[in-house]
Amino acid sequence: MITIGENAALTDVLEYLESKISSAESFFAGADVRLSFLGERFSDDEIAKIAELMKKYDVRLDSRPIPTVEEVDKEKEQVPGEDTLLVRRTLRSGQKIYYDGNVVVMGDVNPGAEVACTGDIIVLGALRGVAHAGVGDGVDATVFAFRLEPTQLRIAHYISRSPDEKLPQPLGPEIAQVVDNMIQISAYTHWDN
Amino acid sequence: MGTVIVITSGKGGVGKTTTTANLGHGLAALGKKVCLVDADIGLRNLDVVLGLENRIVYHLLDVLEGHTTISKALIRDKQYGENLVLLAAAQTREKDAVNPTQMRELMLELKQEYDYVLVDCPAGIEQGFRNAIAGADKAIVVTTPEVSAVRDADRIIGLLEAAELYEPQLIVNRVRPDMVRRGDMMDIDDIDDILNIKILGVVPDDESIIVSTNRGEPAVNDPKSRSGQAYRNICRRMEGEDVPLMDLQSEGFVQKFLRKIGVGTANR
Repeated sequence: MITIGENAALTDVLEYLESKISSAESFFAGADVRLSFLGERFSDDEIAKIAELMKKYDVRLDSRPIPTVEEVDKEKEQVPGEDTLLVRRTLRSGQKIYYDGNVVVMGDVNPGAEVACTGDIIVLGALRGVAHAGVGDGVDATVFAFRLEPTQLRIAHYISRSPDEKLPQPLGPEIAQVVDNMIQISAYTHWDN
Repeated sequence: MGTVIVITSGKGGVGKTTTTANLGHGLAALGKKVCLVDADIGLRNLDVVLGLENRIVYHLLDVLEGHTTISKALIRDKQYGENLVLLAAAQTREKDAVNPTQMRELMLELKQEYDYVLVDCPAGIEQGFRNAIAGADKAIVVTTPEVSAVRDADRIIGLLEAAELYEPQLIVNRVRPDMVRRGDMMDIDDIDDILNIKILGVVPDDESIIVSTNRGEPAVNDPKSRSGQAYRNICRRMEGEDVPLMDLQSEGFVQKFLRKIGVGTANR
């Protein structure tokens, strides 16, 4: 779902969408998108222009009107950043996910793939790509995987990378968190917080 | 109605074209009607590998642009005649001269006539790749046991899935059993661990492939070639036969002799 702000100009919207979608083409390809408007709804002609742009990237636009953001918010009182995105597939090289909240991947995160979110990351599989939990200032965020072998691991503003020499493979599930200003990985036994 | 299979890899030089040529010959040998399409416009060489270069009159773009009919552009193979044909790529044009819609229509027509339409995809993930996968029903991903090739294969599998070509199958090419044994090369389990798709076949590195490629006679026809054997097995698997993966740990004469008489099972 794409929310268009009050008084947004069509040209700005088109330009922004083009840059956003082209930056992660494979992620958006085949997606279904609906528009919601904070201000006044665009005319059908204008919406058709947006649909045309999206079609170029194989994104389908469902142009039926949907309830405004306020109406939806009233229905379910949600704390921002506390939602969880469930990814039911393996993320392959070149695929990237960003989410405001937590991310659970039911599959692997392969080398060259990237998961970033404001909350925790849980990978029910092997994490071999780049993971960034707690984007912003979420220093309490954790990264958990059945096999935690990331190329790079970031929590909030802390960054760590895998050692250059080959390590023995982890034997079981592990969890990464910030301890004493450093990202520390330990065998998973139970959630510490 | 036949099946359109695109043979792709992302990375260049892993053996897409050699694979396409060998599978074409192998399937034709099993009595199938096969059409090979070279989608590598501007850098064609499937015709060279098949030894058909000197017979090209019309190419893919001539057909797409309506300069000739499909049947006139198809080049019959020296050995299999009408059962194995090639649609050559245009050498003097570029990849953006074609669009996916045209390719889709062409594939639809070709598969009415042939059991298998094998499309040799160019390296890369740009326009040429998008053209080659348009109209494909299935995909075969070729990789070699190198980290970079596996990484590109992974990217390609993601792009194929985004294009709704699900469950691609994998051919691991140029495996050197001696290096795998020494731990100097990724083994099949390492590759399977990352890519996690069905393995259609494992082809050993084989000097005879280079010789046969240069001669324009695919190795699949050579009964003594180990890579030829691997390609024959792949063709039988494509036909739905259950053929176990070849044991690549090559046995020397002495080991074979010792094993025959029941001494020493080490070096398996």
